[in-house]
Amino acid sequence: MDEVQKKIENEVISLKGTQKEYQKAISTRQQLDAQLNENKVVKEELNLLSDDRKVYKAIGPALIKMEIIEAKQNVAKRIDYINNEVKRFDDMILNLEKKQDSHREALQKLQQEKMKATIKT
Amino acid sequence: MSQIPPEANMQQIDLTTLTLPQLTQLKQQLDQELTIFQESLQSLKLAQNKFQNSGECLEKVTPEAEGKSILVPLTGSMYVPGKLASTKHVIIDIGTGYYAEQDIAEAKNYFKRKIAFVTEQMEKIQVIGLEKSKIRDTVAEVMEMKMQAQVAQS
Repeated sequence: MDEVQKKIENEVISLKGTQKEYQKAISTRQQLDAQLNENKVVKEELNLLSDDRKVYKAIGPALIKMEIIEAKQNVAKRIDYINNEVKRFDDMILNLEKKQDSHREALQKLQQEKMKATIKT
Repeated sequence: MSQIPPEANMQQIDLTTLTLPQLTQLKQQLDQELTIFQESLQSLKLAQNKFQNSGECLEKVTPEAEGKSILVPLTGSMYVPGKLASTKHVIIDIGTGYYAEQDIAEAKNYFKRKIAFVTEQMEKIQVIGLEKSKIRDTVAEVMEMKMQAQVAQS
């Protein structure tokens, strides 16, 4: 009886930990989405400009002049990087979902065990 | 400025087959989603206002305004006098730290496009939000039914 109770407590703790990780992954994933969208918008804007237009990049409080081609390349690279991160986090979220489910299942089984034990005594 | 991805793996589920805890979870989820939609709508409205203001500001940047004195805000509460050197171009923040020089017509066009984009997103969210709140109401109804059934049984 005590052993089952202990197991349940352990399972609850690990479930909570996984849930926390999951929440964190989700919010990072959302941030990535926002970044990706912003970069896509910038890419579109840059594509609308003619090549002789002046473009500046804010580095800290200073605006640094930049070639538009360079800016386009940078944004494209950034989008690639974010896309990779998005994939990485999607996998992570999937894994954490599975982990949560297995914790939940184990917990349910343990609780049933406990119930049975209480009925017997 | 987040876009809404199309709802993937949508599945029809008969709500009456769900258990009460499942329904509670579902309702909580829906409530959370609805709050997020409300927040998004608010920030979109803010963005819309900002673009509108900038667009209106451009109306004042006419060739006649060149050389006229203006007050340049250094902070929210401190200004220095300046003169408008050029009314041909403005520099616009196009996102992620990039700024592009554009002439007045282009700039006006830019803000018009942005306002249209934001408005479109707002409309999308409103539609989805309405649908979600309908689903939420249905879930609440089924929960009510289940609870009454349980009371009747006991």
